[in-house]
Amino acid sequence: MPHALLGLQDVSLGYDGRAVLEHISFAIERGEFLALLGPNGAGKTTLLRGMLGLIPVLAGRITYGFDRSTSPPGYVPQRDALDPIFPLTAREVVLMGTYARLAPLRPVGRRQRQLAAACLEQVGLADLADRPFWALSGGQKQRVLIARGLAVEPNILLLDEPTAGVDPGAAITIMDLIARLNRDQGLTVVLVSHHLRLVRSLVRSVLWIEDGRISKGATEVMLAPERIIDIFGPL
Amino acid sequence: MDTLVEIVSPGFLLRDALIGSVLVGCICPLVGVYFVLRRMIFLGVALPQVSAAGIAFAFLAYRMLIGQHQHFMPSERWLAMLGSLSWTLVGLLILAALARHRETVEARIGMTYAVAAAATILFLAADPAAEAHMVNLLKGDILATTGPSLTLMAGVFGAVALLLLAFRKEFLLVSFDRDQAVIFGKHAGLWDSLLYLMIGITISLGVMTAGPLVTFGFLVIPPLTARMITRRMLTFSLTAACLGAVTAFAGFYCAYRFDLPLGPAEVALASLGLAMVTTARGLSRVWERWRAT
Repeated sequence: MPHALLGLQDVSLGYDGRAVLEHISFAIERGEFLALLGPNGAGKTTLLRGMLGLIPVLAGRITYGFDRSTSPPGYVPQRDALDPIFPLTAREVVLMGTYARLAPLRPVGRRQRQLAAACLEQVGLADLADRPFWALSGGQKQRVLIARGLAVEPNILLLDEPTAGVDPGAAITIMDLIARLNRDQGLTVVLVSHHLRLVRSLVRSVLWIEDGRISKGATEVMLAPERIIDIFGPL
Repeated sequence: MDTLVEIVSPGFLLRDALIGSVLVGCICPLVGVYFVLRRMIFLGVALPQVSAAGIAFAFLAYRMLIGQHQHFMPSERWLAMLGSLSWTLVGLLILAALARHRETVEARIGMTYAVAAAATILFLAADPAAEAHMVNLLKGDILATTGPSLTLMAGVFGAVALLLLAFRKEFLLVSFDRDQAVIFGKHAGLWDSLLYLMIGITISLGVMTAGPLVTFGFLVIPPLTARMITRRMLTFSLTAACLGAVTAFAGFYCAYRFDLPLGPAEVALASLGLAMVTTARGLSRVWERWRAT
């Protein structure tokens, strides 16, 4: 997979030595907009965490078309994974994305502050920069976390259910934002989602995960009406 | 007013004790901020007790392996520090490593406290010759602070404060979003270990100087108070440290003025501050709700 931004070759992933996914092989091309879909417990988040290097590979290997040490991937976790006890403003959360390129003892400087401000502007939350992060709505928090992912200045942005627990209007706003980042800036995006309708309308390729196996293809093929009926049954 | 003037005058007899109190009151909250943020508050109860058990064990082991130690020598404090720090670090690392299993965390911490308290008494009982003297080292005696011990405290606590300030973005990252720290290649385990080392040093020195009660009190109460009135991380840390220092000074003043035990006076004042801020916040919320209706 010479030109792929990220490639998995016969990879097995799991926890405590037990594989959840086995013999996974696929590549993500630069500029791709990919959704990881599948039933609950299929291993979507496991695959995402494996690609991020958060869980060790049990077999096979993952290759990266970029230097992770100098240009790590951007990651947008589910906001519930973060503890509300931390007194942080939206700006301070976004600034954490700039720590990726700051060595220890190097303080946050003007460049990092300007980058954080620009990322907040990109997600439409510049006026909420000094608001406490935990006082924001669910959709606003998710956009702040996307801004933090952008502040990493990544080659690839990986998002874990960015629309989980937000109202439909906010979900559309978030997905539109992500689609715009991919379309206008050529940012490679991989996201885990359960929102089939939004994925169908915005995402270009789908990786379907079920029973430890994967299949990848264009959205219009993977989420064709007849296929959805096969998966979910008739309405 | 006369008492206040007396205790701030250069010739005050207990000047070193006052400065020592304020140092403990200032630095323990800086470390305690991470106890609060990492939801490790109950470790702040157990670890000072583990530290005390370490002191008692160090003297018992010394007597059994080498012989009777000499009291009131500088080497005695170093021996106490060695026992305190080693036990605190081991206890902290074990409890932190097991913290993932949240369903039993309170039981583990409670058990640690009980075992450490029992072990302290048993170690003391096994060395009756030193028992009477060691009690001061175990419960802390800040009034006995001397120039050399104050210099040691200032040096160690100063280093802790500098490291916390210098590496605050790393500590914040591994505390707030460990996954993000790992993705950034930030050696999260290393930063955790450094933070635990500083926690261990602060608790050990705090216990030896001011005792487990005051150490726990300043680890937890000023940060809890500061958390309610601040919205940013740096402000949170600085406010906690200032609250601790002010409380320590005020507690010293009250203890001197009204002839009260120093440690309990300081902790009681800190608790009073927490109660006042909690009440003020509650009243403020009630007022805002009333205005909205």
